[in-house]
Amino acid sequence: MAINLKPVDVAVIGLGAAGGVAVLPLARAGLKVAGLEAGTWMDPHSFKPDELHNNVRGLLTSVPKANQEVPTVRNGPSGPTRRGNIHPMMNAVGGTSIHYWAQSWRLKAWDFKTRSEVIKRYGQGAIPKGTTLEDWPLDYDELEPFYDTIEHEVGVSGKAGNVQGKIDPAGNIFEAPRQREYPMPPLRGSGFTDHMHEVAKQLGWHPYRPPAAINSQEYQGRPGCAFHGYCNRGGCHISAKNSTAVTTIPAALKTKNLTIFERAHVTRIVSGADGRVTGVTYIKEGREYFQPAKVVLLASYTYENSRLLLLSTGKPYPKGLSNNHGQVGRHYFAHYQSGVSALFPYDINVWYGTPAQASAVDDWADDVYDHSGLGFIGGTTLQPHTEMHPIEAASMNTYGLAPAWGAKWKSFVRVNAARGVSAYLQTSTFPYEDIYLDLDSDVKDPLGDRVCRVTSLVKDNERHACEYGQKKMEEWFRAAGAVEVSRAPIGAPGVSTHAYGGTRMGDNPDTSVVDRWGFSHEAPNLGVLGASVMGTSGARNPTQTSQALAWRTADHLVKSWKTIAS
Amino acid sequence: MQHDHKVRTLSRRSLIAGAALVPVAALAPAAPAATQSVFSAADHKTLEAFAARLVPNDELGPGAVECGALNYIDQALAGALADEKTSFLQGLAALDAYSRKTNNAAFAELPDEKKDAILTAMDTGAAEGFENARAVFARFRRLILEGMFSDPYYGGNTEFRGWDMIRYPGPRVAVGAEEQQMRTPIKPYRRSALGANNGHQS
Repeated sequence: MAINLKPVDVAVIGLGAAGGVAVLPLARAGLKVAGLEAGTWMDPHSFKPDELHNNVRGLLTSVPKANQEVPTVRNGPSGPTRRGNIHPMMNAVGGTSIHYWAQSWRLKAWDFKTRSEVIKRYGQGAIPKGTTLEDWPLDYDELEPFYDTIEHEVGVSGKAGNVQGKIDPAGNIFEAPRQREYPMPPLRGSGFTDHMHEVAKQLGWHPYRPPAAINSQEYQGRPGCAFHGYCNRGGCHISAKNSTAVTTIPAALKTKNLTIFERAHVTRIVSGADGRVTGVTYIKEGREYFQPAKVVLLASYTYENSRLLLLSTGKPYPKGLSNNHGQVGRHYFAHYQSGVSALFPYDINVWYGTPAQASAVDDWADDVYDHSGLGFIGGTTLQPHTEMHPIEAASMNTYGLAPAWGAKWKSFVRVNAARGVSAYLQTSTFPYEDIYLDLDSDVKDPLGDRVCRVTSLVKDNERHACEYGQKKMEEWFRAAGAVEVSRAPIGAPGVSTHAYGGTRMGDNPDTSVVDRWGFSHEAPNLGVLGASVMGTSGARNPTQTSQALAWRTADHLVKSWKTIAS
Repeated sequence: MQHDHKVRTLSRRSLIAGAALVPVAALAPAAPAATQSVFSAADHKTLEAFAARLVPNDELGPGAVECGALNYIDQALAGALADEKTSFLQGLAALDAYSRKTNNAAFAELPDEKKDAILTAMDTGAAEGFENARAVFARFRRLILEGMFSDPYYGGNTEFRGWDMIRYPGPRVAVGAEEQQMRTPIKPYRRSALGANNGHQS
């Protein structure tokens, strides 16, 4: 028998990047919030500048719950199923925002209206075959105030390229208009990223310093980045990385309206006969609890959001909560891996820094350039960056110039390990009919619940878009003096840190799970937070958009409390 | 693990100085005694011979053995990677068996060019009758590289020789702009990040 807890106004499942943001406006409005988090608080002193710990063994990110629920992946509906990689699903107060790169972008206006914009510019025939792409139910302008709120509440460093229509070439001239400048200047460059920056200008491109939720100077009482080089998959030892564990969650706790339940492993969202949700069941230290709530916000990460809905069956929802239209798990997609590596004839010393310490180019992203005759839509951001670790460096591509071992390998690596680098490329990605999430037919977690299964495929549109971006990155590296360049082969995305959809946002219940505010079309007091509501990816990291949407959903809940909660 | 490490990295002088104050019996279990190895003497010889060909010691500097790769693997298989100890030892046994079958001698006893021929056969998958030879090769190689280039806390990268080899200047708490310039040597900071307070100043 579950132990019944005292009812709360809102139960938030998962205190990561999205849930950790949503609790702040709710708590400020005086709502009593229960934050149910499968992980615990992490101590910044435990964050180690240690490649073996963070990157090789993944010890920061491999926590028991997430480890036991790693999604399976198959290449197409008839492909063999394998266990995905572990990395994305972090359990901790702050979630993946503890170990992410903290790249904090806004999407472009085009990303919200891709379908209609593509048809307008290139005709109906330019829409990729089999895609379920549709325009978002909201446009950039509606989200802009929430982007602005996140940038200031969480703390984002960057340089504006378009303040209310005024273009500044020191920032990204292709960005959509923003109401004001970032609260902090961008992170400093390194010798290498400064060099790439200058070369991009010589090519006639428009490089800028990408925005990051990392302090470039003291902000809200926390210091600026120390560039120590263990940011990727590592936590920040000085809390200069603005995870929700050091920003919005502590701010929400100050109101005394947020109670955090650590090690709360949520197993079901419970619904009543009327179709409304009544609360959440979780297991903590071997005991089962029921947390009654007037409203439930599901913020557990893209894979777990779909999974928990599919597992939460009930009389009104025989196929899973909010799934009477069969949309849960549909319209899923993930960014492709399409890196480009390069070798320079001198030491470039990218050891330290952070991946957000970069030069970025949008000239080949989104719909900035004319796609007529190219055979694909969407584009790629190019981003050479810093932060490389010694094992990774020694495991470098030898570009066919040396074997993989022996005296010749050693002779090559001792010269070139400090001369190699990879650039990060992100390409617009779209949903398709035959790419989706569901429950695995065989693999279960220790509680007997089936894990999430990813059905993935390489699509021609995305592959061509990725390859086009890779060629541009090669051009940039060659112009910068690289003597060797290698483009990674394009494969189907597996379990990803950039996972979107499954609970898409839309006006039509036949093609989406949540409405324009992030609330279920079917269960009116259930909201969903995270990139799982996004209908397009843009050519950039999802976090800030999912945070802006989470804040907006919470803000809507506060304003519409009486309608939604009763 | 952490306790072990501290004892193991004590300087010889402090160990001797400290010995006067501590009963010998208390020191004995912490000493890196060969009997604690996960490897038999024969396994150790096979792995050492493999590592010495994978990354040889030559006029350009120390190789995998001199960088402590074996000690790293030994500690890892006894601890963090205990799950793969059995398969790793099976890989070593398979390597030696393949050598005896094809060359009528233990792998460690072969001349360098014959050892290299076996490494090549493993790496390319041409080693007939050697099950999973490519995977064994890849895993041996991977762990040897980890041993050469990971933080010395884990038992390898002896005297920071691996990091010196590739000019990795070492983890540090804060990094200045001058330590991020191209073509400019960075002064190495030969310290484990996992000493007192995990390398962070509080």
